[in-house]
Amino acid sequence: MIIIIIYIIIIFREKSEILSNDDLSKLGTGKRYYWFIFLLVGLILLSVVYSVSIGQVNIPFAQSKEIVLHSLTNGMLGSLDKVDNESYLNIILQVRMPRVIYALLIGIGLSLCGTVMQAVVQNPLADPYILGISSGASLGATFAILVGFGSGAYLLQMGVAFGAFAGAMLTSIAVLLLSSIGGKATSVKLVLSGVVIGALCGSFSSLIIYFANNAEGIKTVAFWSMGSLASSSWDRTPIMAIVVLLGAALFLFQHRVLNTMLLGDESAVTLGINLSAYRKFYMMVVALVTGTMVAYSGMIGFVGLVIPHITRGIFGTDHKRLMPGTLLLGGLFMIWADILSRTIIHNVELPIGIITSVIGSPLFIYMIVKRGYNFGG
Amino acid sequence: MELVAKGMEVRIGKKEIVKDVSVYVKNKQFVGLIGPNGCGKSTLLKSIYKSLIPQRGAVFLNDVDVLKSPEKKVSQNLGVVGQFNEISFNLSVQQMVMLGRTPHKKMLESDNQTDFAIVEEALARTNLLEYKHRGYLSLSGGEKQRVILARTIAQQPKFMILDEPTNHLDIRYQIEILSIVKQLNIGVLAALHDLEMAAQYCDYLYAMKDGEVYAHGTPKEVLTSATIEALYQIKCQTYTNPVTHGIGFAYGL
Repeated sequence: MIIIIIYIIIIFREKSEILSNDDLSKLGTGKRYYWFIFLLVGLILLSVVYSVSIGQVNIPFAQSKEIVLHSLTNGMLGSLDKVDNESYLNIILQVRMPRVIYALLIGIGLSLCGTVMQAVVQNPLADPYILGISSGASLGATFAILVGFGSGAYLLQMGVAFGAFAGAMLTSIAVLLLSSIGGKATSVKLVLSGVVIGALCGSFSSLIIYFANNAEGIKTVAFWSMGSLASSSWDRTPIMAIVVLLGAALFLFQHRVLNTMLLGDESAVTLGINLSAYRKFYMMVVALVTGTMVAYSGMIGFVGLVIPHITRGIFGTDHKRLMPGTLLLGGLFMIWADILSRTIIHNVELPIGIITSVIGSPLFIYMIVKRGYNFGG
Repeated sequence: MELVAKGMEVRIGKKEIVKDVSVYVKNKQFVGLIGPNGCGKSTLLKSIYKSLIPQRGAVFLNDVDVLKSPEKKVSQNLGVVGQFNEISFNLSVQQMVMLGRTPHKKMLESDNQTDFAIVEEALARTNLLEYKHRGYLSLSGGEKQRVILARTIAQQPKFMILDEPTNHLDIRYQIEILSIVKQLNIGVLAALHDLEMAAQYCDYLYAMKDGEVYAHGTPKEVLTSATIEALYQIKCQTYTNPVTHGIGFAYGL
């Protein structure tokens, strides 16, 4: 594992020399690009196996590999004969697999939404939560935890997820409507509407917390807002997988529109693309994907902002190359963030949102200082 | 291709920016649009290339009804070099010029050898071959403008609209840009602010003032002392430049 990390650092350093001058010619061009994508896929597979092998019970890497291969290929590859302990199978398949799949999907989803939102509002500071989705989801979750939706058994069980999802969708619809008042939804109006609606939701959340007489609930709210993968389970995975993967599949083929989006409304019209309509459609898809992720895992910051920038540093801004890279890198990043959140302090699971910021920030600072990366510019 | 814009009226808020303006560009003609800042040149051009919706008026490019056709169809024939071309993410010059192929591509179609050849040729025409892999954001204003022109050339339009393409450029870049456009030998409608350039490159001129066409005709007919004084509220004397034998201008307040 250490060898792989050193390898990544070497590649990053090699790339950094290329990027320090102004020549973009070697940015993920030709075979180099496919080699890179291949490497990322390989790293993700290795990381999945490593991730499921560690925890309270440490399972030898070789045995985890057999189990993962066996379950992924439905018994075609990998054999369970080498597994020492029956319980390993259960631990990996029932407890750790859903979690690592969750991490992978959330990483893919967040970096996808981040890349799309940065193009939609033509702003390097955008992230999946920029349209007030975060504060909307927080309000929904806070409401669900501290006030509740009534006593229906189903609602009670699904309460927080439902509240967060509803909050996210309602705010994004409100932001869309607000920004469309008086003509086209321009990127500046979108960002401003997002900020305004976000502030409104934030103050309502504060109001609920202020009047709440429930210390336990307030703690739950705080914990939720830090993000966690603890709610992962097989029965929740399909919904998230469908939403995230459909979103990814859609945007992998939207590179032409995403590229013209960077030019702004006026140039895009002269190239035959009416951005206004695409922008609304993209935002609805992003809201749906982000809302689903937030509902299940809370707020995981920084991934959607930083991963697209790091990928741009490697592959350039052309979305045809950027999109596959950013999805894979996002997935890889989240798997490792999850591994760290479970192992950094023995027997304590840190909220993953803390980890993503703790590794994300230095990585970003390194990019700016060492490599002269100036936010896509 | 011929461009006809008839009875264009554009209002932004309550203010009428363009009042009943008609412009006609004959096949392969280079037509200039002059007038003081805020006279409605850019607004008129924007309403022609579908960036603004005019309150009234009709625009025809040969038999294509520009205002009623989808953007894609219009952009296959009409190329535009606009005024603001700042982006916040870095694309290489080649990628930027490749975007000019967008109108001719289906959503899922890949860029093929022909597209690369067209981009290469557009880069050659604008002397940008050496800049191919440079980042757009690292270029100077004049170079950026040339990239945008190259993108519009790669679009292979049959008609081109230019909105003050030489704004803020050094004299060399000004001449370069207009010469490249002239060599394309297609119909052109260009808003220009430099009267000498307008006199030198245009076959026909429209002079706008307060949202209306104040005068139109050949450069010789339009660029008279009286017209210029009325347009810009300055004192002006025209003369025949002894070196170029074109029209020269002496201004004063």
